[in-house]
Amino acid sequence: ALCSRLSSMRAASSCTNGQTGCHFLSLANLFDRVIQHSARMHGISNDLHSEFELYFLPSKNQIGRVSRNCHTSTILTPNGKENAQRIAREELTEVILKLLVAWREPLWHFHQNMAQHREFNNFSSNKSLEMSEMVHELRRGVQKVVEKMQMLGVINSSLGNLGSPEALLASDRAEWRLMNDYDLLYCFRRDSNKIQNYLKILKCRIIPEHGC
Amino acid sequence: MAVLLSSNLCLILLVSALDWLPTPASAFLIDWDRTTSSATLGPHFTDCISRDQETFRCWWSPGSLQNLSSPGALRVFYLKKDYPFFFYLHFLLECFFDANHTSVWIPYCVQLRGQNVTYFNEDDCFTVENIVRPDPPVSLNWTLLNISPSGLNYDVLVSWKPPPSADVGVGWMRIEYEIQYRERNATNWEALEKQPHTQQTIYGLQIGKEYEVHIRSRMQAFVKFGEFSDSIFIEVTEIPSKDYTVPLTLVLIFGVVGVLTVIMLIVISQQQRIMMILLPPVPAPKIKGIDSELLKKGKLEELNFILNGGGVDGLPAYATDFYQEEPWVEFIEVDEEDAEGGDKEDNYNSDTQRLLGLPHRNIEGFSAISHPDDDSGRASCYDTDLPEHDTQRLMASLLPGQPEDNETCLDAPASETGEKPLIQTQIGGPQTWVNTDLYAQVSNVMPSGGVVLSPGQQPKIQENTSGSERETQKGGKQNEDVEGIKEQKRNEPQFQLFVVVPEGGGYTAENNTQQTSTPPSTSVPGAGYQTIQPQPMETKPAATGDANESPYILPEPSQPQLFTPVADYTVVQELDTHRSLLLNPPPSQSPSLCQPQHPLKVPMPVGYVTPDLLGNLTP
Repeated sequence: ALCSRLSSMRAASSCTNGQTGCHFLSLANLFDRVIQHSARMHGISNDLHSEFELYFLPSKNQIGRVSRNCHTSTILTPNGKENAQRIAREELTEVILKLLVAWREPLWHFHQNMAQHREFNNFSSNKSLEMSEMVHELRRGVQKVVEKMQMLGVINSSLGNLGSPEALLASDRAEWRLMNDYDLLYCFRRDSNKIQNYLKILKCRIIPEHGC
Repeated sequence: MAVLLSSNLCLILLVSALDWLPTPASAFLIDWDRTTSSATLGPHFTDCISRDQETFRCWWSPGSLQNLSSPGALRVFYLKKDYPFFFYLHFLLECFFDANHTSVWIPYCVQLRGQNVTYFNEDDCFTVENIVRPDPPVSLNWTLLNISPSGLNYDVLVSWKPPPSADVGVGWMRIEYEIQYRERNATNWEALEKQPHTQQTIYGLQIGKEYEVHIRSRMQAFVKFGEFSDSIFIEVTEIPSKDYTVPLTLVLIFGVVGVLTVIMLIVISQQQRIMMILLPPVPAPKIKGIDSELLKKGKLEELNFILNGGGVDGLPAYATDFYQEEPWVEFIEVDEEDAEGGDKEDNYNSDTQRLLGLPHRNIEGFSAISHPDDDSGRASCYDTDLPEHDTQRLMASLLPGQPEDNETCLDAPASETGEKPLIQTQIGGPQTWVNTDLYAQVSNVMPSGGVVLSPGQQPKIQENTSGSERETQKGGKQNEDVEGIKEQKRNEPQFQLFVVVPEGGGYTAENNTQQTSTPPSTSVPGAGYQTIQPQPMETKPAATGDANESPYILPEPSQPQLFTPVADYTVVQELDTHRSLLLNPPPSQSPSLCQPQHPLKVPMPVGYVTPDLLGNLTP
């Protein structure tokens, strides 16, 4: 289902040359699909987090301790609606891509850990696998959107290629290995919410007339 | 970094210690039952809520320790991760963090501090997105979708608008909604599935019941719901028209079926009467007392018997037998007393005598001849153009053989004649009239124009209205009549009749016969027939006393003219130059005065010749 979604995203981006209306319409469609994708991803992360709390119900609020251990906390992200609307489009797009890149590997490892633990039912195992795949697909989708925007001249082409291995290595400080599973789920739940919010705000800033 | 304070803001205290002592309760991030162990609680936070993910509030209470309830005794400190800020409370029991001081995805920790004591709980740390409870939706309304065919259930579409405080348009918040409904006085709510759209269908509501509906919202993929909206009430009452239409159609259908059945029964039972009304029968030409079967079968004796009036009793018998079951057969009724078609007796007698001018037993019938207004046969022959008197006398002179269909014609003029000219002569009783003929055959036509008649049967001489002759032997009684007739003749000379009255023979009356040159008066004495000469110069019997201008010649039995006996019917051989018919005399005919009747004329129906008799006639 994910592959078909992305392929349809690619198919929708093909327009005949010289039709700006068609391009913007295809860009709006691309955005909508990406936002739908991110919303689903956030839903899955929320389900996993809630289920994890049932099994490993913390007696105490562990926000204080957890908040420091998220490996993505070094990425500067806008903390409010106004902040997100104020920063440049390119900066906002870069934040989204950084977040998506940062979570690909930790989720993959998380899925490996979940598969090994027998106490988890198949539901959790399938969700963790789906979650790790969705992060990967979403990153590719957002990259398509960025290319489209660069083609249309919506954003500058100064945005670096975040898909390169150098960028991955730069963002990967391996701090995520220090997190336990619960912390990982908590952190990813927070970051998937960020990604979803940032994508929506970005779309409504660029193409406000389509469903904002 | 110091933060500027406003009247609604809290002071920030730098808190260096990151390890907090755990204190019980007030974990408002997780659903906390606030009723438990509230008595022994110290100062604690009751709730922190954000409505729009841009601001949030926190409420706290001093707890059971009353000495800390004075304002300013407790201050709120909150720790924003990585931001070593501190604020202090400003009298109120709530603390409002505005947009400038609200950061999403950043953990906040709040604590209460007294003079020397710090009441804090690590459960009081949160992130703003996790404490978001959106406001309930607004403009909640409903529309009826459809009603089930049974008329018991219906579906309703509920629609609303997202809360205005939540910035859904920018995409900052994605809200999903949950609708709950229940019957008016029920206790349990029924919840529908959460969904992010601003409308939803409720299926299977019952007509006549009132339902209460409210809605609440929640951030997608989050836990905390907002408050419920105000309830709206849905009720659909029964549609009365539906109850009326179904029995109404049934009543109409049954009524129509019943009416049709009744009509069918009427038609079937009254078939014959309806046939009479719709298709009135054409009066068939039926002779009274005569069955058409007799004619077909050729039973001449019977027929002649009937026609001659034999067996008066037989006539009604025949009539009643044959026509009893055929009510539409209309008999020509001459007398109004003849109400029934089958009764002929009185009619017969009165008709005959009416025609002949004889006093009838039923004077009243005679004098008051007013026919039943039967239209059969009369209109054609009742000719008002004719002078009434002449017609009357003409008709009256005819001897009625049998009561026939054209009696009404004769009756009409007869009724007006009065009685005087109709003098019964030689009334021999009714039976004498039986043998009289209304018709006589023309035996020969003279070149002069006279007509030789052959006697039919024993006639009775009757006066003629226009030149009727009478038997000289009748007597003086006729004189008056003759004179009366003559007078009338003078008045109307255009009618001339040639009447041959043989002794005992029948005669005919001819209207408008032209008077030709003086025909030779020929008469056959004793031959049974005579010719009438139109010329008045014939010698007239003294008894008559006719004037010379009378164009009529009364026959004299002493006239020496002889004639060869001519049969009633002869074959016309040829026309001579004078356009007279030359007949073929029948063979072997001996003139006999004593024979008033032609031998061939024995029981021959008047005016009719049957095919077998025809063979006898031809020579």
